[in-house]
Order: sequence, then C-alpha cells, then structure tokens
Amino acid sequence: MFDVIIARRRIAVLVGLILFTLALLTSQVRSADRRQVGPLGTAVLTVLLPIQTGMAHVADAGTRWWRLYTEIGRLRQENARLRSEVERLSQDLTVVREQAISARRMERLLEFRPQPGYRTVAARVIARDAERWFSTLLVDRGSRDGVRRNAAVATADGVIGRVIEVTPTAARVLLIGDSRSALSVIVQRSREAGIVEGRGGEMLHLKYLSRTGDVAAGDLVVTSGLGGVFPRGLVVGRIVTINREPGALQLEAEVKSAASVARLEEVVILRERADRGGPGPNRMAGQAAGRRCGD
Amino acid sequence: MAALVQTAWLARLPGVGAVIDPVLVLAVATGFLRGAESGAVIGLAGGLLQDLLSGGPLGMHGLSKLVAGFGSGLFERSIYIENPFLPAVAAFAGTLLGEALLNVIGVVTGLGSVSWTEAVPRVVIQAGLNSVIAPPLFRGVRSLDERFERQH
Repeated sequence: MFDVIIARRRIAVLVGLILFTLALLTSQVRSADRRQVGPLGTAVLTVLLPIQTGMAHVADAGTRWWRLYTEIGRLRQENARLRSEVERLSQDLTVVREQAISARRMERLLEFRPQPGYRTVAARVIARDAERWFSTLLVDRGSRDGVRRNAAVATADGVIGRVIEVTPTAARVLLIGDSRSALSVIVQRSREAGIVEGRGGEMLHLKYLSRTGDVAAGDLVVTSGLGGVFPRGLVVGRIVTINREPGALQLEAEVKSAASVARLEEVVILRERADRGGPGPNRMAGQAAGRRCGD
Repeated sequence: MAALVQTAWLARLPGVGAVIDPVLVLAVATGFLRGAESGAVIGLAGGLLQDLLSGGPLGMHGLSKLVAGFGSGLFERSIYIENPFLPAVAAFAGTLLGEALLNVIGVVTGLGSVSWTEAVPRVVIQAGLNSVIAPPLFRGVRSLDERFERQH
C-alpha cells in the first residue's frame, strides 16, 4: 500500500514536471527567437551572468597562458632544431669555403704556363721545415710521378725553389730564400745578369751586377736559364733597393721574392720532356714575366 | 555552479564536440542517492539553468535531465550502491538517455535537426567523459547528503 502511494507520487511528480517543461518549451516555439526567459529568468541571469562573465575571463586568461606555455615549448623545440641546423650548415659552409679556396688556388696554379720542353706536375705541400735555419718544403710527388732531383719548383707567381731530395712518393724542395740557394738571373728590362742568393726569408740578395749596368728599383728579375736547373724566364722577384757602394766593382741589390712561401699549399714541379732539346735563347724569354707580381 | 562551470569552462575544452556535463551527472547521482523525485527536480533545475546560461530555448536541457534524474532514481536501492563502478556506469547510461531525449525534443519541437552519424559518436564520447567525472561527483553528492541528514 505504502509502495503504491510512493509510486503514484513519483509518477505525479514526473508528469507534473514534464508538463511544466513542455509548456515552457511550446510557449517558446511560438516566439520569434524561440526563447522567452521571462522576469524570473531575467532575475536569475542578472545574478549569474556577471559570475559567468568572470569565469569566462578566468578561462580566457588560462587559455592565453596555456597557449603561451605550449608556444614556448614549441619555440624551444624549434630553436633547438634550428640551432642544430645552423651548426650543421656552418660545418657545411666551412667545408665548401675550404673547397672554394682550394679551387681558387688551383685556378691560380693552372695559370702557370710551362716552358716549352717542360711538363708540370702539380704537388701539394705536405710539410714545412720546422727549423728556422733552413727553408725547405716537402711535397707529395716523387720519382714515381717523374720528379727528378734539381727539378724547378714554381707557383703561378714565380719560382720558389728546386728539388733536392726525391723519394718515390715525395720530394723535398729547397726554397730560393734558403741561404744555401743561388740561381742565375737577369734583370728583365736591361738584361743585366747576376746571381740571386737566399737570406733565409722572402728578401733575396742579388749580386754580381755590372757597376755600369742599367738597374733600377722595381725592375723584374727572371731566371736566366744558365746552370741547367731553372728554365729561362721564370719570375724570381722585383728589385727593392740597390746598393751602390763607392769603390765596389759590382752592384748589389735586394730583391723581394715574387712567390710568397708563407702560405704555400700547392706548387708545380717542372719536368723536362724526354724529347726536349736545349732551351733556345728566344724560346722562353720572359714568358711568364710581365704578367706576374702585379704587372 | 555546475551549470556555470560547464558553460564557462568545460564548453571550451576540445572533445570532438562532446562537452563534459556535470549537471547531468549530478542529476543522476541525486536520483540514485536521494530518489527519483529529487533526481527529477535537480535535473530540471540544473537543465533550466543550463538553458538560461547557454542562450538556448528554456526547457530543452531541463526536460532531458529531468527524465535522466528521474530514471536513475528508479534504481535507488535496487542495486548495490557501494559498487565503485556504479557512478561511472550510471553516468554513462544517464548521458545516453539524456542526450537521446535532448535530440528527440529538438526534432519534435523543431528547434534543431539531428545528424545521427555525427551525434552518436559525440554522445558516446560525452558519456565516457561524464563517466570519468562521475565518481568524485557522486562522492560529493553523498557527503552533502550525509551532512544534510546529520543536520536534520
């Protein structure tokens, strides 16, 4: 009996509430915007909307902070990725730059035109003399490549020395700046002959010039071809100063070496052709001269 | 408060169109713990507040939650109430019932059209989300109920 009363009360409450809600819904269906809040609803909204607005502001702030936080994380990741990419590209750039510099050096080296009767062998400098008393280089070409003792060694700028030791895979070059080095030269303009000796640096000493010879500072000095080591016409350097000592029988001069050996990395070694005759007097004269040493 | 939280905060959370509905879970919890009439009244009141705050026609959420709260009250004391999975299962079933009613009311009154292919996955996800929040809400309703019992 009690259960029946409860059940009926339940049904009555349910039916009553549903009817109330349906009435509310249908009353709105007829309105233009399908929503009629009424004075009670307006009063409730007057209380709740400020709270809802405040909560929305809090949510907006939270959303902004969350976006900022996630953006920072994303930016950190992107930053790390870009840093590693910059590092990789920097390494690549270093390699490419090195290759470009090497290519430019090779281009300069290719400008060297071998004398008729000679072939050139390009060689890379693999070691320098640690002793300050001697000026020699070790290059990566040897007898296997046709390099012989006393072969002339040059760059596009001019002569740098001659081969003094040869192994099958390497050769040692005595630089013209070495104090043991001496080579026969002529002043290109006046054809005055002399001997250039090394002084242990880039400045060379020119001796045995005729006292009455026509020699001036700035004159280009080239190899004479005498002595059988250096072909005729290779640029040696440019006269810087002339020493005219009273009573001396000959003139002496200081010559600045045309080829800088300080940062030398590649050289060419001159190889005589097998069918080569002797170097003719007019064949090689001044071939490279005039376009080297900033001429 | 639950209606405010839902309209101001929970509606912003991404969830494939599904929004956690604490009002519905409260109505179901009240129905289970306090009986069908209480569930219906709480469901109607909360639903009407939702309608007021959301800008929709008054009564749509009210009616659906009324029925869900009342329906859950029919199972009051007929199942083992200490079962830890009960709140989640009840919230899941209540959500399915409430959302189905909401869509039917929308169609019947001409207030909205329903694409069932979109509605079904959304409702299932929403039911799942409501199941997640159901245990703490049930516990809260229960502690409020016990406090109310002690005071009176």
